[in-house]
Amino acid sequence: MHFTAASRWLLLLRGYALAILVTLALTLLMYPLRQQLNTTTIALLYLLPITLNTTLWGLGPGLISGLLAFLLYNYYFLKPYQTLIVHQSQDITALLIFFVVAVVISQLVGRARENLAQARASERDSTRLYELSLALGGVNHEREIGQILATHTLETFQAEYVEVHIAANGAPDAFNIQEPRGMLKPAVSPMVSMPLETTRKRLGVIYLWRNLEPLIGTEERMLRTFATQAALSLERATLAQAETKAHILEESDRLKSALLSSVSHELRTPLATIKASVTSLLAGDVDWETQARQDLLETVNEETDHLNRLVGNLLDMSRIEAGALNPVRQWNVLTEILESALQRIHRTAQDYRIETDIPDDLPLVPVDFLQIERVFVNLVSNSTKYAPVGTIIQITAQVQEPDSILVQVTNQGPPVPQEHLERIFDKFYRVTDAERVTGTGLGLSICKGIIEAHGGRIWAENLPDRFAFNFCLPITWQGKSPAAVDPETL
Amino acid sequence: MSTEPHILVIDDEPQILRALRTILTAKKFRVTTASRGEEGLALAATTLPDLVILDLGLPDIDGFTVCARLREWSNVPIIVLSVRESEGDKVRALDQGADDYLVKPFGIEELLARIRVALRHAVQTPGGQETIIKAGDLSIDLARHIVTRDGAEVKLTVTEFKLLAYLAHNPGRVLTHQSILSKVWGIEYIGDVEYLRVYISQLRKKLEQDSRHPRHLLSEPGVGYRFSEGE
Repeated sequence: MHFTAASRWLLLLRGYALAILVTLALTLLMYPLRQQLNTTTIALLYLLPITLNTTLWGLGPGLISGLLAFLLYNYYFLKPYQTLIVHQSQDITALLIFFVVAVVISQLVGRARENLAQARASERDSTRLYELSLALGGVNHEREIGQILATHTLETFQAEYVEVHIAANGAPDAFNIQEPRGMLKPAVSPMVSMPLETTRKRLGVIYLWRNLEPLIGTEERMLRTFATQAALSLERATLAQAETKAHILEESDRLKSALLSSVSHELRTPLATIKASVTSLLAGDVDWETQARQDLLETVNEETDHLNRLVGNLLDMSRIEAGALNPVRQWNVLTEILESALQRIHRTAQDYRIETDIPDDLPLVPVDFLQIERVFVNLVSNSTKYAPVGTIIQITAQVQEPDSILVQVTNQGPPVPQEHLERIFDKFYRVTDAERVTGTGLGLSICKGIIEAHGGRIWAENLPDRFAFNFCLPITWQGKSPAAVDPETL
Repeated sequence: MSTEPHILVIDDEPQILRALRTILTAKKFRVTTASRGEEGLALAATTLPDLVILDLGLPDIDGFTVCARLREWSNVPIIVLSVRESEGDKVRALDQGADDYLVKPFGIEELLARIRVALRHAVQTPGGQETIIKAGDLSIDLARHIVTRDGAEVKLTVTEFKLLAYLAHNPGRVLTHQSILSKVWGIEYIGDVEYLRVYISQLRKKLEQDSRHPRHLLSEPGVGYRFSEGE
């Protein structure tokens, strides 16, 4: 607690006044009874105001009331009355006892008060510390830790201004947090600066400005404890981040090995075919018929296309993984994209009846031409893997809500069990036996990556007699609707 | 001195060089090869090829630089080889003066077709302008602004005609979205691909037998359009 000099004087004066008043009041009470009470009892009773005054107001008022008590006792209660003549050494003893009582009590009370104040202060400190560690608990972000430290330091030390400088991960990540926010940093240099350091390294500094008296010993110790707490939290945050990173790496390692095993299998199949066909043709011992030679060459050609698609898928996937898909959006005619896709896979899809139904007045779509083309290629080629040869693969599109379109690719393949519907878009997820159907298990997850990068959604469903892939795409882009191209008259 | 067209191939992959040399020689071309950009530029200056096939990824200087430096002194047709994942590179190479591009891996008929187009174009450029372009069932009279399909006139709007005329004037060549937009609509429309998309789909409806499987107005995804004279 802090008081101004004037109020402190006033308080002291009040103590003295009340001490005198209480002693006088007791005298007044006892005066009528002075015939009944013997002098020893009276002297004893005078100890009451002395004790009381010393306890309440301190040593000064206690001594005053002791002196006053002696004078009053002597004047009113010792014979001859109304005189201040000290007869016996006994009387001097009474005065001494009064003084001794005042001094002893004030000592005791002072110590008790000091103890209490100390207990309160240490309780307050531990509460503050507890609050800080509670706030810091579980926070794994440097900026947040800095913020918490700044706020708590400001409150606890009644500072004008606090700045926390954190350079946990080396200079490039360094930053400052000021509190109170929006206030200009004082022009003077900070009153205290306290490093945030662990045994291993220095992680930052707290700067504290305060207009009041400098930090006393306990406060400084407290600030040091704050700094240590924060430093430990920072270190823990760094460790937690490292752990997360390690976990991600582990996960991606696991995926990579899954990818490798899937890919090496997938690459070997076409390579084996190509190798077999080409070595057959190279071997001079057989005179291949024109037709057989042609068939072998066709096979080689198809398998190289297959390999090329596979490599394309892998590249797409690695881009999606790296978050580097960045669609290059332009307003596009969906039909044009679809036709371009169908041309790319006409060889794969030639055994199916492809039907398209896209209204002529479908608005332009703000998409990356090549990426959406890729989606169509993958969905149709996935359909050809599962639907029986000769069946219909249908592609339709329509405006669904005012600001999105719904595209549906359906095939007459077998239904997919409900529990697989969600997961078929996962990487390497294959519903059927991997040996029976070729593919890396990447096609659909690439579709998902692309559609989501466009702000759309993709899902699969079983219709009564067909299987459907659906995706919707927003047709507004940067808040704009499809650009209207004014029709031109002849 | 041989009259066979002379082709300079610049690519750092020895397998590709070997295959192209074998195939092109068999197709009666004279072939010179270089595996580095600087070497290619030097060979271009000393051997004066009729056509350059240029890979974009070279070990010393990149293909764009080779393109630009060749264009400083030569109009030799340049066909760029690129990979699927780099549409931006194709556009950039075309902007740097390349005449065409081909995506690796490519079929040899495709390469030969591109070579034929580029060589023909190189021969035509200095000569007079054709005023009537015939492409399969289409006939485009540039002077009289008349287009016929199977002999019947097709009515086109002014912009449709300008677009068709620009494409048909460069048969077999890929024209970037930007170059078409600036040529047909004006330089300020260079970013408005939607105009191009809409007009192309209108033209396809009017001119193609099956607008869904166009034979003349071909999309080059991510790059531009190409006019094909059809089989």
